[in-house]
Amino acid sequence: MTARETEGVLVTIDGKEVRAPEGELLIKTAEDNGTYIPRFCWHPRLKEVGMCRMCLVDIETPGGSMMVTACTNPISDGMVVDTKNDRVKKAQEAILEYLLINHPLDCPVCDRGGECPLQDQTMSYGPGETRFVEEKRHFEKPIPISDLVLLDRERCILCARCTRFADEVPGDPLIEFKERGYGTQISIFPNQPFSSYFSGNTVQICPVGALTATPYRFRARPWDLKAVESTCPHCTAGDRISIEASQNQVLRFLGVDVDATNRGWLSDKCRFGFEYLNSEDRLTNPLARQEGGTYEEVSWGEATSIIAQRFGAIREAHGGDALAVLGGAHGTNEDAYALSVFARDVLGTKNIDCRMDDALGTRLLTGIDRRARISDVDTAGTIIVWGPDLKEEHPTLYLRVRHAVQELGANLIVIHPRATGLDDRADLKITYRPGSGSDLLTQLRGGDRDDVNALLEASPVVAFVGRTGYTEGPTMAEAVASWILELEDSRVLPLARRANVFGALDMGVAPDLEPGRIAATETGRDTRQILGGLASGDIRGLLLVGADPVRDVPDGSLATSGLSGAEFVVAIDMFHNDSTAHADVILPALGFSEKEGTVTNIEGRVQKVNRIAPGSGQSRSDWSIIADIATALGSDLGWTSEQEINDAMMARVPAYAEASWDALDWEERDGVVVPAPGADVPVYRPEMTTQPTVGAELVLHSARKLYDDGVMMRKGPSLHRLAPGGFAHLHPDDARRLGARTGSAVRLVTKRGEAELPVQVDPSLHRGVVYVPFNQPGVGPLGDDPVVRVTAVGEPD
Amino acid sequence: MGVLTELLKGLRATGSVLIETVTGKEMLTTRYPKEMREKPQRFHGRHVLNRYPDGMEKCIGCELCAGACPARCIYVRGKDNDPENPNSPGERFGFVYEINMLRCIFCGLCVEACPTEAITMTQLFEFSTTNRGDAIYTREELLMDTDGNVPHMFPDDPLADMKELLTADGWLKATAPAGNASYEGVQTWQGTPGPASWDPEPDQETRDS
Repeated sequence: MTARETEGVLVTIDGKEVRAPEGELLIKTAEDNGTYIPRFCWHPRLKEVGMCRMCLVDIETPGGSMMVTACTNPISDGMVVDTKNDRVKKAQEAILEYLLINHPLDCPVCDRGGECPLQDQTMSYGPGETRFVEEKRHFEKPIPISDLVLLDRERCILCARCTRFADEVPGDPLIEFKERGYGTQISIFPNQPFSSYFSGNTVQICPVGALTATPYRFRARPWDLKAVESTCPHCTAGDRISIEASQNQVLRFLGVDVDATNRGWLSDKCRFGFEYLNSEDRLTNPLARQEGGTYEEVSWGEATSIIAQRFGAIREAHGGDALAVLGGAHGTNEDAYALSVFARDVLGTKNIDCRMDDALGTRLLTGIDRRARISDVDTAGTIIVWGPDLKEEHPTLYLRVRHAVQELGANLIVIHPRATGLDDRADLKITYRPGSGSDLLTQLRGGDRDDVNALLEASPVVAFVGRTGYTEGPTMAEAVASWILELEDSRVLPLARRANVFGALDMGVAPDLEPGRIAATETGRDTRQILGGLASGDIRGLLLVGADPVRDVPDGSLATSGLSGAEFVVAIDMFHNDSTAHADVILPALGFSEKEGTVTNIEGRVQKVNRIAPGSGQSRSDWSIIADIATALGSDLGWTSEQEINDAMMARVPAYAEASWDALDWEERDGVVVPAPGADVPVYRPEMTTQPTVGAELVLHSARKLYDDGVMMRKGPSLHRLAPGGFAHLHPDDARRLGARTGSAVRLVTKRGEAELPVQVDPSLHRGVVYVPFNQPGVGPLGDDPVVRVTAVGEPD
Repeated sequence: MGVLTELLKGLRATGSVLIETVTGKEMLTTRYPKEMREKPQRFHGRHVLNRYPDGMEKCIGCELCAGACPARCIYVRGKDNDPENPNSPGERFGFVYEINMLRCIFCGLCVEACPTEAITMTQLFEFSTTNRGDAIYTREELLMDTDGNVPHMFPDDPLADMKELLTADGWLKATAPAGNASYEGVQTWQGTPGPASWDPEPDQETRDS
């Protein structure tokens, strides 16, 4: 860097001298120093384009003063800028008058009305009256450009924010300008909807109401919304959001620009996936199963006393280890801490797990050596993604990686059994068969692949490691992480899905961890063993906390047999689901926008979750339900609020010593990364192991899509219809051999399940791999064993 | 002595008014409710939701009335019009419209805020209820029917004067229809709620000639 870039150059803006790095855009320098220059097309996270001309300012040049657009002009030493003189004012008025020639002024029926940059800037900088009384340009009023986004071309001011976003950020250039001059309009391509996973962001950045979202359409006006900042509950990236509600109903999520996590962007699942909160199917009262299998509403007191009596009896007769706790990854850290303490100290069991048998080892997830931060991708030389398709499971991390590769020049290696969203930006894509990952890893470790060696020379290396699919065991990821740590100057970010799974593990909702990432002296059973134990009768009582093992555990039939074998099951949940159907007592829980607390994201960043709406009916937060059951069991945990649990947690868990509510609310709005410096947290180094190669002719690859058939998706009408449904993806060679083609049906039989599914021929697959998306509507579980037999059903027509 | 004289002086004034009132010579009070006083043209009474002459609802559910309301007594929710059978012209209509008349201060800001002249006020002010729930007027009770009749919550109420519901406080048209240049700045007065029964306002050329 030159001195001018580091120390900055001197610029005079409206007579005020400021210093800023040379090359910074004038509009940003001005804004950072308190001078707002009006704009429509410029967005700090997009490339400048100079489309709207609203940011015209006067700069002094040797040839006299000159009007330039502040959004495309980098500052240089000695620049003198006037943003408020008469010439600038006249230009601003003219631009606004020009923009309003065809803008329909249907503000009263426009979702943007009241928070519209065009309205605001017309009020602040506009001429105040119109001279244009002719007929305006007309287009067909809103046309759907995807299932979630509507386009009103009359309102569009052609700022190109949406087209630039779609092209630059998620790499889905499905929306573009067409025609020219007066006829210019935004359009999608024929028969190709704007079905990006990130389409909702264009609605948020549209400076007018040209793009509106169907889930929010006409639901409220900005002045009757109240907002609270919170953390997105859908993926583990910990995206910062603003939750907006009206009349006690959550109506929309907006992304908040935080550099550490999501930079203002959200996936559509995050943005529109809240609808379940307002669902009419929410549980409202405690329910107890009657003889005959029906549920009756009972009071909280009755419910807790039934639970205490039955759990107490089991504990008395068979010991605490005959009880188990599953779930807790969807709540706050406070809920998780309460659950962990309750299981260990009150129930007296070590059988507690928040992972649904689909994640990695707890030690790897919480305490891996050289754990990467999300921001490390910005300085990475090479990024390796060996794990789930980031676009499907960690959408905002996908945007971060994409940005780092596309704009910051990092190398990218993607290793996955089929096409992923990052393939088009990958310097190297390796497709492999699940079940032969060890062979590939041996090659890579041995330095046999020159292409990989060449890319790895650019350091530091940042690797995202996780399970590519559920038929590949967690030890494979441990081996990959171990290889990464063998490389010099490398960092690893282990991936896991389900909202607050990292926080729950930190709080000890794990069979082998105590609160604070400390290895437990005695290891309990994990999810798989708990379900096995329930089926065999070793475990008799089960507490489900926001968990649906029947749907979420890859081996769904194991979960079903376990739950039906259980003697007594209690479920704390928001909805009836396939697992609560086995419960004896169901307790209604609060959703995440209905409680206060902290959550921990994938890199260990602790952030605040805030309350904006009351829960449905008599629902309560997990911790208070648990505290009541504890009291009924004879152990008063002594908590009366989340804040008290947080205090107890900070005192007990040294890693969380600095993540107090006060700090998160007022000082560290973007969160605090744990463990706190100085906290004594054991570091875990994964071991290099070799997995046996699966020799079957066809192997199953089972991985999630962004939209699936989970209970929260089912209760949100906007997104559930976007779930792609069940398909068996076959490599063309395999399809030919089996006599199947796209549209014909095949029968899949695995050790743990079977399904008949339509075929999709997918050339991106490795030969010999059958890909079936996990948990799609109408598809039963196929288990996690990779061996699969496939036969064609009927003749392809 | 002086005090007594002053007292009598004062009582004389009282006594003369008393006599005038009793004999009916100069009556200042009216025998309400037997006699009704003429209300001023701009009297702010109960609200009504209007329709266009073709029967479409004027309300588009934009919530500007609710936003302008200083008493926060209006609750509106918009909804998509069914394109086959729309309630109002355009994309959106007022799906929920409620006014809590107990909170309303009859200031008329909702009428001013309304961009489509959907809400106006009538001269009816006698609508006391016997419970609080009845004081919340819903869309059905506020919206006039397609013939221009305004529903009354208690049509049998001896005090109900339906004529008052058909007299609007005058309101101004602030925008030129359909952007027609010759109507620029034209302001008109509409004295009744409901489907327009008045002649179209003269345009600029006609007025200037």
